[in-house]
Amino acid sequence: MHVLETHDLTHAFSKEETVLSGISLCVDDGSIYGFLGPNGAGKTTTLRLVLGLLKKQHGSISIFGKDFGKDRVEILRQIGSMIESPSIYSHLTATENLRLLQKVYRCPRSRIGEVLELVGLANTGRKKAGEFSLGMKQRLSIAIALLNNPKLLILDEPTNGLDPNGIIEIRELLRRLNRESAITIVISSHLLSEIDRLVTHIGIINKGRIMFQGTLDELKRRQQQSLSVILETNDLGRTREVLSQDGVEADYQNGRCILPALPKERIAQINRQLVDRGVDVYELSVVKNDLEKIFIDLINE
Amino acid sequence: MTADFLNSFQSEWLKTKRSLAFWMVVVGGFFTPAVIIVARLVRYSRLPEIYSDDNFWALLWKNSWETMAIFFLPLGAILSTSLIAQIEYKNNTWKQLHALPLSYTTIFFSKLAVILVLMLQFFVLFNLGIYFSAVVPYLLVSGTPYPQQAMPYRFFLNENILYFVDTLPIVALQYLLSLRYKNFLVPVGLGFLFWVGALASLSWQFGYIIPYTYPMFNYLKDVERSRAVTPEVNIHLLALGYFAVITTVSYVIYLTRREKG
Repeated sequence: MHVLETHDLTHAFSKEETVLSGISLCVDDGSIYGFLGPNGAGKTTTLRLVLGLLKKQHGSISIFGKDFGKDRVEILRQIGSMIESPSIYSHLTATENLRLLQKVYRCPRSRIGEVLELVGLANTGRKKAGEFSLGMKQRLSIAIALLNNPKLLILDEPTNGLDPNGIIEIRELLRRLNRESAITIVISSHLLSEIDRLVTHIGIINKGRIMFQGTLDELKRRQQQSLSVILETNDLGRTREVLSQDGVEADYQNGRCILPALPKERIAQINRQLVDRGVDVYELSVVKNDLEKIFIDLINE
Repeated sequence: MTADFLNSFQSEWLKTKRSLAFWMVVVGGFFTPAVIIVARLVRYSRLPEIYSDDNFWALLWKNSWETMAIFFLPLGAILSTSLIAQIEYKNNTWKQLHALPLSYTTIFFSKLAVILVLMLQFFVLFNLGIYFSAVVPYLLVSGTPYPQQAMPYRFFLNENILYFVDTLPIVALQYLLSLRYKNFLVPVGLGFLFWVGALASLSWQFGYIIPYTYPMFNYLKDVERSRAVTPEVNIHLLALGYFAVITTVSYVIYLTRREKG
């Protein structure tokens, strides 16, 4: 079942500037969905539309199987969110910030201590949120998003401003919440490396269009398909001749041959043939494109 | 809906804690009475005469409201209303507020209700201040008699209600401007211009068109030798009408905003 589903979302801030074109997201129940794209790709605009912070112009949004426009309040009761920079009242303490939202969510007061403990802000006492570091503000925002025990958590770049340890802690926290409380999480980021160890599904957006959507495994399969072999010799002309006679299609870049992914035995055979024809082989290596490379390739398509 | 509104109101009220708007209400409520206390203590020799006057309470009321009706009440309403909406802009929290399970109607009216309750709080504090400004000199300066005339509670209550009603259009218009403009200077600057316009139009026969004049007119109605024109319409009804119309317009503008954070 899809917890969140958008169909053909299109949005323009002006006639000249269409920021989203036909965005159709499918977020499975219980998944951790990484929403990836470079800065300005349309991630935040999409998430703002999903939360009703922007007026929908075209397309449909359905959350928990209900139309967002019709059941906005009921749907938002089960969502925790954090969009862009932290939204906190700087003249209030962390507890006071949560207290005013606890009133609205009507959740037990004890929940405030629980979420502060979860994000490591239990000991901030009377310190006002305005005096917090960016990382602490980010943690408080995450605590706010968790306050109502949401079924769906929407986090827009939640690790911005966190140090490496903080990023790991938040990642662990989200993984735990997903595993133990079965919370579906949508997390956006512009860095694949930041979330590739966390997510189960990925959506890649660029220039307002979805470039890829699927499971992490599907993306990894693409990675396998994009292996290549680099060959460097002392004589490019003769190398080209040998490969051509052997029926191997290769690209030639910067004096090197780039061969498609081949079985190990075939690579050894090509090497033997080159040596037998008097060609010195300087380098013969398999290049594994990492996920980041795939991501970069996708957004450069 | 009612429970949502009450919870939302409580939530909005918590936001005013330690806020500038809250402190303005507290300081503004006691400022004029404090000035009166100091002035009376400085000229303590005149206290027996002042406190023996048969119209002691009416004169104190008039003295207290002089600067309040003309300056502090309109300007305080302009600033405190703008500051309440500014809490969300300043903290970048509109998006958080609009992602809460509350209808837009609840959000709009609970915020307005908080502003109105703050205004009420201001009136209560100001009235307490007026009472203290009568009692403190009496307690501190020996030989000062306690006013013989009973405190005219009903008159005070009626006047408070009229001043409160007269301030409503200012609150409504400032609320509209504060929701509409992110830059704090816009609602405050426009409010200040309207206030100056109101001052300038007191002697104009159609001055009552400008809603910022009503607290001033309410004060000036009993002032002899005032150059202000007494409006030939019921300004209090007009104030209520303005409040209803401006609030409705403000609500529609708020509902139809394309971006809500």
